[in-house]
Amino acid sequence: MSGRSSAERVALAAQNERVMAVFEGAGFDHIAPDILQPADIFLERSGEDIRANSYVFTDPEGAEMCLRPDLTVPACRYHLMHAVRPDSEARYCYCGPAFRFTQGGRAPSEFGQAGIEWLAAPDSEASEAKVLALAIAAVKAAGLKRFRVKLGDLNLFHALLDGLDMPERWRRRLIHQFWRPQAFRETLARFAAREELSRTSISPFVDQVMNKDAKGTQGWVESECERRGLAPVAGRSAEDVAARLADKAADRSAHPLAPEAVHAINAYLAIEGDAASALRQLETMARSETYREALERYRRRIAAMRAEGLRPEDFFFAAPFGRNLEYYTGFVFQIEADAALGPLQVAGGGRYDDLLSDIGSPVPVSAVGCAIGTEQLLAAMGGRS
Amino acid sequence: MTALVLGIPSKGRLMEATEALLGKAGFALTRNGSDRLYRGRLGGIEDVDVAFLSASEIATSLKEGKIDLGVTGEDLLRETLRPEDDRVDVLERLSFGFANVVVAVPEAWLDVARMSDLDEVSESFYKRHGRRLRVATKYLNLTRRFFANKGVTGYRIVESLGATEGAPAAGTAEAIVDITTTGSTLTANRLKILDDGVILESQAVLALRTECEDDQRVAALRAGLSRALAKP
Repeated sequence: MSGRSSAERVALAAQNERVMAVFEGAGFDHIAPDILQPADIFLERSGEDIRANSYVFTDPEGAEMCLRPDLTVPACRYHLMHAVRPDSEARYCYCGPAFRFTQGGRAPSEFGQAGIEWLAAPDSEASEAKVLALAIAAVKAAGLKRFRVKLGDLNLFHALLDGLDMPERWRRRLIHQFWRPQAFRETLARFAAREELSRTSISPFVDQVMNKDAKGTQGWVESECERRGLAPVAGRSAEDVAARLADKAADRSAHPLAPEAVHAINAYLAIEGDAASALRQLETMARSETYREALERYRRRIAAMRAEGLRPEDFFFAAPFGRNLEYYTGFVFQIEADAALGPLQVAGGGRYDDLLSDIGSPVPVSAVGCAIGTEQLLAAMGGRS
Repeated sequence: MTALVLGIPSKGRLMEATEALLGKAGFALTRNGSDRLYRGRLGGIEDVDVAFLSASEIATSLKEGKIDLGVTGEDLLRETLRPEDDRVDVLERLSFGFANVVVAVPEAWLDVARMSDLDEVSESFYKRHGRRLRVATKYLNLTRRFFANKGVTGYRIVESLGATEGAPAAGTAEAIVDITTTGSTLTANRLKILDDGVILESQAVLALRTECEDDQRVAALRAGLSRALAKP
């Protein structure tokens, strides 16, 4: 980017003012979180990948800082520092720059986000519907006319797995891999395969603990390390190592994942349609109490959308949607503008109940929010970004 | 005609092997009088200047277009250039300086054989300790690319500029990415290479700026080197 002309600056400022008026009018407190953030919180939460697309640097005292890559984490940090209690209800809105590096300059490295975050809302589904309604109202207030809304629900998938017969660690693996479609398919295929898993350099160790219980496995690991003169190093105890070896031994004797379970997972992931009729497809998958509860939440959310004056029939639901967004834990949505050059994502949001604990809240705090890409939105309406 | 600039490692085994190979190919190296440490000429071919640089500077100088050709380790070249960067290309692999860039973990991790195990361990490590598993390395980019490709994301890099293999024992990292020729340093530090943990099988290469691909001097240099490499 090489700066904005005065006309571009005025157009963007006017648009953002209309967007923020919607959020403020709904009772969201307009805050200005810090642009400079401690890098640690982002790196610890998201791992190394974020460093490759963040501006991380050292301040003169040697502290590692970064330019915020989004405003959600800074808004949540603001909350933890200012709220009476971490789980006090709070509604924030914000508008300001965020910074992300993209290789080869595929996207601008400095861009604006206008958004809301609703923490510790008393009613989950009503707050989700409200956030969606506000996001839609905000892009409309900015002047966007043609757009599509996509919805997903990560909680339903977790609930589906819960009702399928498999070892708990397999469930954890599938959830962990869910947002990487390729790895997910491979993991699923491995669990479903009837043939012996391929041998690796640690297979002889697994052989050794095949018929041992937890205590016996740990004993074997300890004596093996002692025999080889290996100290338990690097933050992992003999107990950790033994527990994973025992899992591997159990995997060998476990029955492969039943074809019905594989079928259920694939059938679930194929579900798509308008948000109201998708409900009927989702209902056919019900087989566990957890799933029925998740479905009930979906139903309540649809009702809450109607109460907000939204038409769920106009929204597109896809079961796998949101799998590429590791951030979120439940309801997710995206608003795509029909721009001249094809669909352009202008807003996204959803539920992220783990974030506040991840960044230091001593108690769990539920959270739902959304962010609008302000330049994207302006570009979608034909203005320059 | 503007002289082509060839970067050559300024010291160590890489320099000796490069000089020997060039000699064998009929391109004797002569060092310039006053600044013999930094500049030279290539014999047997017109208008090729030699710049003596450190191996890592050679990769950077190629990327920045400060030199036209250079001899360096493929590890440094791949670390410095993005995979899609087509401004620099490998012209010839030189059959010396063999070494592998590998992912290694403590031998005491009897439950870890593959990158997928490391992924699982990094997840439970985060849940247990509230901090990310650390990987010590000087290969920041190779590590990020390889780990991302293997779907491992829950880790952090600790930049290490020497004695990387000692990091796990010193408690500054849990795993490492390092270069190794025989693996004996790793073994001595009670580390093991993951089954699918070879990031790159590296050797010395002659790399060039693609814009001088069609230069006749490059063709002559390449032909000479190929003949020398084919000789027993």
